Amino acid sequence: MTSQLPAFIILLPLTAAFGAFFAGWWFRKAVYPLVVGVLGLCVLLAGGILHAVFDHGSLRYFLGGWPPPVGIELHVDSLGAFMLTLVSSLSLLAAIYAKPSVETELADRVALFWSLYLLLTTGMLGILITGDVFNLFVLLEVASLSGYALVGIGRGQALLASFRYLIIGTIGASFYLIGIGYLYAVTGSLNMVDLGRLLPPLYGTRAVQAAFIFILTGFAIKIALFPLHAWQPDAYTYAPSGISVLIASAMAKTSLYALIRLLFAVFTVDFITVYRPLFNFLGWMAALSMIAGSIFAIRQRNFKRMLAYSSVANVGYIVLAIALVPATLQGLAPALVHILNHAVIKACMFMAAGAFIYRFDRWDIGEFTGLGRRMPWTSFALLLAILAMIGMPPSAGFVTKWYLVLAIIEAKQYPMVAAVFFSTLLMIVYFWRVVEIIYVRPERSPVPTAVRVEEVPLSMRVPCVALGIATFAIGPVWMAGILTPVVTAVNTAFGLGGQAP
Amino acid sequence: MKTAAALLVLLFGGLLVYASLEFPAWGDPMAPASRHVSPHYIERSLAETSVPNIVTAVLADYRGYDTMFETIVIFTAGVACLFLLRIFGRRSSESRLYRHLPTGITLRISRGGAVPLSSKEFERIDLQWVPYSVVVRTTCRLIVPFSQLFALYVIAHGHHSPGGGFQGGVILGASIILFAIANNLRASLAWFSEKLAVLLCGLGVSIYVATGALSFLLGGNFLDYGTLSKPFAMGAVAARSLGILMVEIGVGITVMAVMVHLYYGLASAGRHDEGL
Repeated sequence: MTSQLPAFIILLPLTAAFGAFFAGWWFRKAVYPLVVGVLGLCVLLAGGILHAVFDHGSLRYFLGGWPPPVGIELHVDSLGAFMLTLVSSLSLLAAIYAKPSVETELADRVALFWSLYLLLTTGMLGILITGDVFNLFVLLEVASLSGYALVGIGRGQALLASFRYLIIGTIGASFYLIGIGYLYAVTGSLNMVDLGRLLPPLYGTRAVQAAFIFILTGFAIKIALFPLHAWQPDAYTYAPSGISVLIASAMAKTSLYALIRLLFAVFTVDFITVYRPLFNFLGWMAALSMIAGSIFAIRQRNFKRMLAYSSVANVGYIVLAIALVPATLQGLAPALVHILNHAVIKACMFMAAGAFIYRFDRWDIGEFTGLGRRMPWTSFALLLAILAMIGMPPSAGFVTKWYLVLAIIEAKQYPMVAAVFFSTLLMIVYFWRVVEIIYVRPERSPVPTAVRVEEVPLSMRVPCVALGIATFAIGPVWMAGILTPVVTAVNTAFGLGGQAP
Repeated sequence: MKTAAALLVLLFGGLLVYASLEFPAWGDPMAPASRHVSPHYIERSLAETSVPNIVTAVLADYRGYDTMFETIVIFTAGVACLFLLRIFGRRSSESRLYRHLPTGITLRISRGGAVPLSSKEFERIDLQWVPYSVVVRTTCRLIVPFSQLFALYVIAHGHHSPGGGFQGGVILGASIILFAIANNLRASLAWFSEKLAVLLCGLGVSIYVATGALSFLLGGNFLDYGTLSKPFAMGAVAARSLGILMVEIGVGITVMAVMVHLYYGLASAGRHDEGL
């Protein structure tokens, strides 16, 4: 049965998306239980795949029974299995969280919302599991298209934000498509493993160099690396709360995964070693993203928009970690650490932001006065996430910065240390302002003598608080080395690094 | 800013052209693209799938998983349009207009008045009603059945000649859109209702996925049509051909229904009234 697991994890949310679509017209009550049940099963399946990958090595599944490169294969290695678990868990938590706000805001199109939500999840899981570069593009389309629609249903300027997202996102995907078109022209293959085998003699050709640049630029747009982030703040701000959570945490990380997969499985570390200057340039762009994102974040009044710019900065951390890979023995460890940490922290923050909007319709940071007493649970979760983001030991953010700084020192790129510290400093400025307003500053309007606790429903509070606690729990998990086997396996699979963190 | 953008576009365009100069020559039989996997498709697709049209064999069998998700992209577009555009519920505040067909007199029935749901003598119209040409209507009545027949041929004949589910589905959808343009959206909705369109949107992709999933139950990998040989009592190669036909039908149904649905939504701004 293990051998069929990779196909199951795609088919389950996919058929459930059709089920939710039909149920919306003929049996509306069944939609939500179906969604949560199926996403729960996906988490279990992802766990099963992770287990199977560590027991038997990576899973390869030939669709239609055709062996690659003639057919398409699903190829789950340790990185894919790790990401599957992360993305399916986030998708489940965001679905639990989104229920109350979806039911009040989208009364007559709830079923369509869940159908698109499941299609988005299917697309993301499909990207994580595929072993074929063109199939990755098709699934990127499925995920992006459902993402555009889900962003567009939000309030305010959501449609405009979604349209910009659509145009810029499509350009990014087209750049990727051009890149794989060039690779196909010189190799004749679309299979990742096969490409990794065929490319080395062609490293010097202009077609391969151009393909590399186009694929890199395409994904830089998709992950919103400065200065290609223009679509991202509006899309994150105006999307419905549950969707902000999902695209800011899971979708962004899925694109990062695709970038890592293309860089290290298709182009491999040998190519990168040949073109080190290009990679150093990527590192400088990442440093710029870290600082520019933080400066933009300081200027924001709208909390969700501030979080969006903070994501630009944090993507910079991850890309910097990727750019350092050829120069450090840690390999992908710092990048993986921050992918997990940032996904959890940002999901928690967007959940808190959505809770403030759901209960009091407060979008601006200046209006958050008194929320610490009115919504103690949500505020506490947000406080934990902020502390973790800034990097208080032993939280998740501390581990990130620890690994990153070690990798930078090992790579002897000392200016980057300054960039990390400066960006952290800016982070403290814009996040501490939020904490101060929520907990310290008194409410302007006549303060009632006894402030009532007006928390959001449990289904919103529980995922938020759980993730808030996770932001601190993950730190010790990394430090205790519980996830070290994953990192070691990823590094071994891509031929990177030398030692486990 | 605009100059900078134009320069950037030129830079990337130039990069593309510069890089493509090293490509293998046009139609070069020794090019990597024609030597790596293509020979397998060209030499063995007929023997392995019994489909003479190589494109169909690659599209629906060797790379059937991609095609399944391309169909799902279309389905997603249909759901997205419904999600963003459709205005659900009936607005009861306005008065309704009816046109008496034999005389051409328009009646306005204000709120509270008894209104017939359908009548042979009266036609419900909207404020932006325009008269329809008899010539256009009659021509469409002649064209629609033939184009639908042709669409079915294109779907069914994809194994042997250019065609298949996507193309046939588009022609089938176009025939219904033609009917809607020649008449009006209400007439078209009475013939091909929204619920039917929605049902078919999902049904087509479900047929595709179910065909693939059937292979699971028969002990093969997903989309391995060869396993269909057991229930249909035929050889594994013929079963592949049958599987391709089944998924092409699924693709055709979804493409047709999504096209019609997109037209309904866009033509009436989601209100499903008289439309264009």
